[in-house]
Amino acid sequence: MSVLEVDSLSIHFGGIKALQDVSLRAGEWEIVGIIGPNGAGKTTLFNCITGFYEPTHGKVRYRGRDISRMPVHQRTALGIGRTFQNVGLVKATTVLENLMTAQHLQVEYDPWLGIAGSPSSFAEERRVRERGDLILDLLNLDAVAHERVADLPYGLLKRVEIAAVLATDPDLLLLDEPGSGMGPEEAHELGDTLLALRKQFGLTIVMIDHHVPLVTRVSDYVYCLNFGEVLAQGNPDVVRSHPEVVRAYMGEDAATEVA
Amino acid sequence: MNVGQLLTELGIAVVTGVLQGSVYALVALGIVLVYRGSGVFNFAQAEFGTVGLFAAYAAVVLWGWSYPAGVAFGLGAALAMGLLTERLVVHPLRNASRVTVLVGTAGVALAAVGVQFWRFNETPIMTMPKIDDGFFVVPVIGAPVTVQQLITVGVLGVVSVGLALFFRSPSGLAIQAAQQEPVASELVGISVRRVSMLTWGIAALLGGIAGILSGPYTTFTAGFLTFGAGRALLPGFMAAVLAGMKSMPGAVLGGLVVGVVEQLGTLTVMSHVPGARAMLLFAFLLGILLLRPQGIFVGRTATA
Amino acid sequence: MTAIDTTTVLPAIDEEVTVSEPDVGFRPGRAGWVGRGLVWALLAWLVLALPVNWFSPFHVGVADIDVLSLAVIYAIGGLSLNVLLGYAGQISLGHQAFVGLGAFASAYVVTNLQLGFWLAVAVAAAFGAAQATVLGAVSLRLTGLYFALVTLAYGTFAEETLFGIAAITGGEGGKPAARPVGFEDGYSYYFLCLGFLAVILWLDRRLTRTKAGRALAALRENPRVAASYGINVKAYTLLAFAVSGMFAGVAGSLMAHHDEVIVGSTFDFQLALLFILMTVVGGLRDRVGVVIGSAFFALLQEKLLVNAVGGVFGSLHLDDFFGLLGELLHVDGIFASGLGIPAEFVGLIVGPILLLLTLTKYPGGIGQQVAPIRLWLTGHRFDRHAGAVTEVEVNDVRA
Repeated sequence: MSVLEVDSLSIHFGGIKALQDVSLRAGEWEIVGIIGPNGAGKTTLFNCITGFYEPTHGKVRYRGRDISRMPVHQRTALGIGRTFQNVGLVKATTVLENLMTAQHLQVEYDPWLGIAGSPSSFAEERRVRERGDLILDLLNLDAVAHERVADLPYGLLKRVEIAAVLATDPDLLLLDEPGSGMGPEEAHELGDTLLALRKQFGLTIVMIDHHVPLVTRVSDYVYCLNFGEVLAQGNPDVVRSHPEVVRAYMGEDAATEVA
Repeated sequence: MNVGQLLTELGIAVVTGVLQGSVYALVALGIVLVYRGSGVFNFAQAEFGTVGLFAAYAAVVLWGWSYPAGVAFGLGAALAMGLLTERLVVHPLRNASRVTVLVGTAGVALAAVGVQFWRFNETPIMTMPKIDDGFFVVPVIGAPVTVQQLITVGVLGVVSVGLALFFRSPSGLAIQAAQQEPVASELVGISVRRVSMLTWGIAALLGGIAGILSGPYTTFTAGFLTFGAGRALLPGFMAAVLAGMKSMPGAVLGGLVVGVVEQLGTLTVMSHVPGARAMLLFAFLLGILLLRPQGIFVGRTATA
Repeated sequence: MTAIDTTTVLPAIDEEVTVSEPDVGFRPGRAGWVGRGLVWALLAWLVLALPVNWFSPFHVGVADIDVLSLAVIYAIGGLSLNVLLGYAGQISLGHQAFVGLGAFASAYVVTNLQLGFWLAVAVAAAFGAAQATVLGAVSLRLTGLYFALVTLAYGTFAEETLFGIAAITGGEGGKPAARPVGFEDGYSYYFLCLGFLAVILWLDRRLTRTKAGRALAALRENPRVAASYGINVKAYTLLAFAVSGMFAGVAGSLMAHHDEVIVGSTFDFQLALLFILMTVVGGLRDRVGVVIGSAFFALLQEKLLVNAVGGVFGSLHLDDFFGLLGELLHVDGIFASGLGIPAEFVGLIVGPILLLLTLTKYPGGIGQQVAPIRLWLTGHRFDRHAGAVTEVEVNDVRA
């Protein structure tokens, strides 16, 4: 059974067809890459999968279950975690606080008991904090644990965001441009990280990115979107050398590079 | 309670509501203008009116100026307050969230109320003289109407037409351009800052007109138009919401409708309900916001 | 996830990040502890002893202690609005109705049902929470500015319609609300109010330090991020309404039994604006600041502060407490003769000006001003810039 199955999904905003009959699947432990020029509908697709947008037609299935109408927070509870294109963190709070907030669903006391100060809430709070620290250690972010998110540089926030989404305990990770703002070397490093994370946490990953070398190196399967439709799909090498993709997305430079 | 009596009461309520509603319409025009200009809910709009009223009262009654001079003084005071609000509160908060600015304008209103309390503490009963003392009863319907109320409606008409014409003139169009595309307008040489001052100035004048015209209906106290006997802030906002916060003709129409809805609370059938007017307004506002949050009298264009 | 393997999968941070110096490991010296202890003792004396004339050279009269109780009650009201405005980012211009409903519910339980005060407080808290939740549920679809309008209309509606129902509220004559047995006199009632404030402060602290508070901080800033963290945004917004209503109900109950006869017209729009003043000037999301701000405005409102500033310092009456100081600084003269502002109007003018200054110049409010002292008192190094706030973000319009 596929972890994620997007079934001929369409979404219209007014007269604009942002996505048109898009189908996509990601199997257990797979890394699926999505490429495509700006405005191709990649982030819109993520918004449909996570529940911020309701598709006009089509279905989203998670492990065989139809989740097309499920609210965002319930999808998170199922194990769908995502990052945002422009950093989805609570900026006014610290890095560690973000990781504690992201563990919301794993916190085991009732919010009212927490307010009343039940003894179990104190113990649980310690556990939540420790687990946050552990994840930060893991991603080598412990030095900035007590820094306010708003005070940190953009490149670092991309990594903090991955830590935060890991704290939601996902099975399926949707990464929206995890490599934005990174040079080729850093992007290569990020690729290693993603492969390691998949292995360590048993993750299925769907990621949008513009670094074609990164996407083709780590992905098992790649989709290329253009104008809201799937232009090409297949093994990374197949997609990379697909003539339509080369023309629509990679431009002349890339075309010569491939040639 | 028979149908005939109900109809009579309804007729009177509609006439009184329209007359009272014209004050709300004036306030609503100011609210819409400011919202279009600064994206701000101006909670000081009604207080522009009270300040204008207090100033006019001081000039005419306490200092014995002529009525026109007093009105001019009152409008000047309202205008000054509007410009000061823009300079001292709205401009410094231009990058703050809109709710913060809302709290700021509420602070302006409260400060104005404080000053009124302080300056007019020793004048226990204040009444603004009417422009004309006449009154008559509308034939058939039987609604009592004062000439002062008719003047208010007339002024509303003149102001509406004047605003419509102004927004078709070059400076009016410049204001609209600046409101819609501030950066681009700055590039073509329209000063957004001056436009903001102009917007707040006009809004304050509208408030002042509403205050000076509605003052003579009853005795007034500090905060008269905000939470006093002549409260027009909430009805004004409701009218503006009816107009989708952007249509000026919608604001006028909305003001009249809100005036009538509120008057329905005076019907005999409602006499067992305490505070029936407040209840009707609350229910009406909730109804609009939940059913048609985009407004009703929005019109086809937002131009005038 | 189980058993995290701590082998590092990412290289160390190589970017230039200025990590703020951790304050851990700092322990004040002996002199530091003595100094802090003395200030703590002074504060305790100010709150616990001075008002009831223990170890005090001053005399606090019966009328004055009632004003001090009111200051404590206002502090609870301010904390209530802070939950909604500060934590959840929802503005309420009808908060006087929240408090008023609690007041009448409590008075009704004690006077009409002849039941005890403690039950009445519980009923008032439940009532406050229930009505706030209903209002919240109705207006969940509205945000920001439009929600402000609804609360404004709700406040007027409650004041004129709900509080006008004579059978429940006693109409214009008001509703008697006797003080609980054992707390009839002003001094003991003051301690009762302080006790409730302590409980509310504890709950507020727990709120901010547990999952509900973190959820509110996230959804206030970015509802989309909050939802993707698995937070049910609507449910937690309603929780904020319920907590705020509960606090307001307690404040209302205490206010009713404080006044002993509660009148509907007490809860007018001006009171709602006063609550906004108290919380914003006090400093949103800063509970110490909100308490100080609320007490400040209550005293200002009731002229006690102005009188205190205007009296004679040397005399043993609190009315004249700061008098000499006042004469020395010509504070009295500034207010009364210089500007011609009679004492009772100082609050009306000073308050809004402070509000505007807070919004435009000092966004952290009183809370930020006292933050260095507060941190020093809790054993940190004294840092003049501690707790700096760059902007008052009441709420961003989520349209």
